[in-house]
Amino acid sequence: MTRGGKPQGRRRDVLKAITAGSVAGITGLAGCVGDPDEMENGDDDDFDTVQFGVLEPFTGEFSDLAEERHQGTELAIEQINESDEYDFEIEYDDYDTQLDPATATQRAEQAVQSDGAQFITGCISSSAALAINDFALENEVVYTPGAADTSITGANCNEYVFRFETSTAQIAEVMAQWTADELGDQIVYHIADYAYGESVLNEVETRMESISDDYEQVGVTRSDPGSTDFEAFISQIADVSDEADALVVGMTGADLAIFLSQAGARGLQDEIPIVTTTGSFRAVRAGAGDGAYNTYSGVRYIPDIDTGDNQEFVEAYEAEYGDLPDNFSRVGYESIRMVANGIREAGSRNPSTVAETLSGMEHDTIFGPNEFRECDQQAMNPVWMGECVEPDSGELADVELLEELTGEEAAPDCEDTGCEL
Amino acid sequence: MITGFLQPLVDGLTIGVVYVLLAAGLSVIFGVMHVINFAHGELFALGAYFALALVVPFGGTAFFAALFIAPLLVGIIGVAIERYTVRPLYGRNPLYHILLTFGLVLVINDLIYLVWQPGNVNLPVPEILTGTINVLGINASVYNMFIIVFGGVMAFAVWAMLEYTKYGLIIRAGSQDRQMVRNLGIDIDRYYSLVFGMGAALAAVAGIILGGYQTVSPEMGMSVIIPAFVIVVLGGLGSFKGAVVGGLLVGVIQTVLRTYAPIFEGMVIFLLMIAVLLLRPRGLFGVETEEEGGELLTGSGGFLEPQTRKQLAIGMIALLALVPLGVGTLYSAYAVTLMIEIIIWGLFALSLDFVMGYTGLVSLGHALFYGLGAYAVAITLLHVSQSAFIAIGLAIVISAAIAWFVGFLSIRVGGVYFAMITLAFAELFYNMLYRLDITGGSEGLFGISTYYGIAGMGPTLGDIGFYVGPVALTGQSLFYYIALGALIASFLITRRMLNSPFGSVLKSIRENEQRSTFIGYETTIYKRRAFVISGALAGLAGGLFTLNAGYATPSFAYWLHSGEVIVMVILGGMGTLYGPIIGAGVFFGLEEILTGFTARWRLVLGTIFVLFVIFLPRGLVSLPAQLAPYVSGGSGPGPEPEPAPDEPSVRGDD
Repeated sequence: MTRGGKPQGRRRDVLKAITAGSVAGITGLAGCVGDPDEMENGDDDDFDTVQFGVLEPFTGEFSDLAEERHQGTELAIEQINESDEYDFEIEYDDYDTQLDPATATQRAEQAVQSDGAQFITGCISSSAALAINDFALENEVVYTPGAADTSITGANCNEYVFRFETSTAQIAEVMAQWTADELGDQIVYHIADYAYGESVLNEVETRMESISDDYEQVGVTRSDPGSTDFEAFISQIADVSDEADALVVGMTGADLAIFLSQAGARGLQDEIPIVTTTGSFRAVRAGAGDGAYNTYSGVRYIPDIDTGDNQEFVEAYEAEYGDLPDNFSRVGYESIRMVANGIREAGSRNPSTVAETLSGMEHDTIFGPNEFRECDQQAMNPVWMGECVEPDSGELADVELLEELTGEEAAPDCEDTGCEL
Repeated sequence: MITGFLQPLVDGLTIGVVYVLLAAGLSVIFGVMHVINFAHGELFALGAYFALALVVPFGGTAFFAALFIAPLLVGIIGVAIERYTVRPLYGRNPLYHILLTFGLVLVINDLIYLVWQPGNVNLPVPEILTGTINVLGINASVYNMFIIVFGGVMAFAVWAMLEYTKYGLIIRAGSQDRQMVRNLGIDIDRYYSLVFGMGAALAAVAGIILGGYQTVSPEMGMSVIIPAFVIVVLGGLGSFKGAVVGGLLVGVIQTVLRTYAPIFEGMVIFLLMIAVLLLRPRGLFGVETEEEGGELLTGSGGFLEPQTRKQLAIGMIALLALVPLGVGTLYSAYAVTLMIEIIIWGLFALSLDFVMGYTGLVSLGHALFYGLGAYAVAITLLHVSQSAFIAIGLAIVISAAIAWFVGFLSIRVGGVYFAMITLAFAELFYNMLYRLDITGGSEGLFGISTYYGIAGMGPTLGDIGFYVGPVALTGQSLFYYIALGALIASFLITRRMLNSPFGSVLKSIRENEQRSTFIGYETTIYKRRAFVISGALAGLAGGLFTLNAGYATPSFAYWLHSGEVIVMVILGGMGTLYGPIIGAGVFFGLEEILTGFTARWRLVLGTIFVLFVIFLPRGLVSLPAQLAPYVSGGSGPGPEPEPAPDEPSVRGDD
């Protein structure tokens, strides 16, 4: 069977068949170039329901944040469906992205193609959010991401993406200003060696340079994302702590929590002030334990703030889930509300129409009057600087606010965003 | 000056000691039972969570009690795992333990999610272990010192146990030659449970002390398992000394490099492992014993007549070809999207089966080639040409070339060592994707478009449509046929190859490599060729994915994907070519169905894997043959009897 002429012949047959097939395929394509009918996404004025797809990393490293965000999303949907102000109901399905861009896209396809979603929200990791950014543009569905990466409403922006999450650029603004004013301009950095860490470094550094002529980068150490052992970096930072005024940490999630915990055990907080981007997240404070005490952090949100209808949100959230909301809950919550406002205003559930309406539209939000500004469709959120301090009782550090920047002050200039809308 | 040297040493020893505890259990389990225990990391996490459960209500001082109670509990769980899941698998190829323990990882991890909340939690340590020490200009926390001392004592105790007790003697003898121990009249099987339980308890100790040092999170097991394996292989499988030296070495080298050459961080352990395996193929302290291969149970397709099988295959293809026609009437366009995913992963699984099922080489780094194909397509489309044909062509050529290189270095080692060295290459590639500008770093490459033609002439799939009755075939549906065509072509080509003299040599290598060598075949060359073909096909699969999806991200090359594709191959039935395709379909089908029901779907999936590997090791394709006697009332060929555990006659001809 395996020797002799017969198999040879069969190989040729296979090759012939493949070649013939592909030739036929090409001529077929060439001969039949038509314009396939685009299926329109129900451009009707008269509708009772709109379909949302909620994509979150329910499994994997960010599953706690996913749950937090999802609770905010569900609360908003529930309120809108019960409210008389909206004459439509939101229906939704949720999908597990598993923190993987490929799975996220797959689930987005499921949401849009199979379940008819016209609006998509979610994704906490930047790479998944960026994949869905592209997907939203291609499939012409409105997307409200949950990631902070600057490029989502920067170089990779598009007309279907609206972000209520505060971007790293906005947080860097308040961090840089406050650090330069209060701590000094000799800065040592520790970042996670991937897009997020690099963007923190760049954003803080460019602002520092424009604030202070004497600004100096004393040093940078980089750890791999997902690192769990920071001893070597802590030793290096401690070595230069005499020359530097502050340590700026460009990490988030478990990386940051573990870093703070190990830095605390080594007493680094006593040697140099530590300034972080996301140390105010409850998830980070919970992981870091007493390592979070006496560190400074940019603040995207804490439940205490008294802006807009935030206190009503906090109350409703607590009543529903028995727990205070945190940053991701408010992103999920307000993303849904703002899109719903857009749908109501547009009087249509066609994502393209809604997208046009949403851009630059005024909203009342938990942060007070707000908008997805036209040039990059980033929400004009205020930002704060805070200090994590030892609580009166329990382990979890409290966050005390030190300074506030308004949405106008925190937002980067339109021409600097890299977004061309 | 001395401080400059001592500080990294102290820093490195802290993590090194934890590595030692982790690797020691893993290594002894492998040495004695030949079980590649992927679930070791989850037992480690479980230890930390049990400790957390004790420390949180009773306060910091309960930490010391937890250090003894939690490992005991985890040890008991370890014994149970050995008894009920690992034991039925003795005598089979260690490959099956990968599938089994992979399933256990999913199960235990999801149980942790179910019982405890997700997220990072701080494990409070007693007051007495907090604070810092400053001696000779070295700054270290008291807790670090505690880790070094306590971990050191534990490691010493285990060493003494292995060295000076009767149990230790039998375990050591077992790790050198099981059969000989058995011949001496010692029932070594009884010791297996003990060894497994001990290994689990050691992992739990490591989990607790590391939990106090970092944080406790459900992912902590995932993050240590790969380094732990690297250390075990580095030190030599089954060698306690190897685990100690490997663990401390990796801990210190990692830390020193972070200070002096941070660019190598993350890559160093893999470079180290590749270097050691190339110089000493059995690790630093590995014993030069012939590995017990165990039986590889390839799927048997002998149930149906060849004619019937051919008709069935043609029928299946015809059915698959009809899928896009039902869009809009029978089901939504998502069916096509899902089928494309299955077809691409089916192709990927087929590529792995070509080396795994036909030469017995288990590649734990096949995601490397998938990722390579994807990035080759992405980079070509962005920088060279937008032609899909050129991009795919390049992807295949580049994947084949890299596969030759990886094969050239890797195929000189066999078995588990081969799996680990391919894993190392894949992890190096994964790291590289993160670092290079041309690959777009951690975010990957997005917004890629293509056309189907050459030299600027040709349509994009979205611009054209075929009309079959009321159904318009365009975009995704057209790509579906491209993917299906690629899969069928790959299947026919590989099947043709396997029916050639080349294929016969491959099969003979799988059955008995030594004999093939005696007949006069240069088996290394044949294996390398098979690996190149496999790499090229995996590259094709990755390339097709990017062609359709329009992006490439580093996650494509993540080791978990290599694990998943192995699971698909075994699930479907390896050594059959079509089995893995079915495996991919079932894998995604199950995921699709289960994710709709519960967020803890991995628990169900993992349980299915575990049951599968125990009861249906030849894969889904063997299911009809297994069922035949029942259906046809006893007639029919029936299944081949499974080899009884540890039956010497199974490999009596060695």
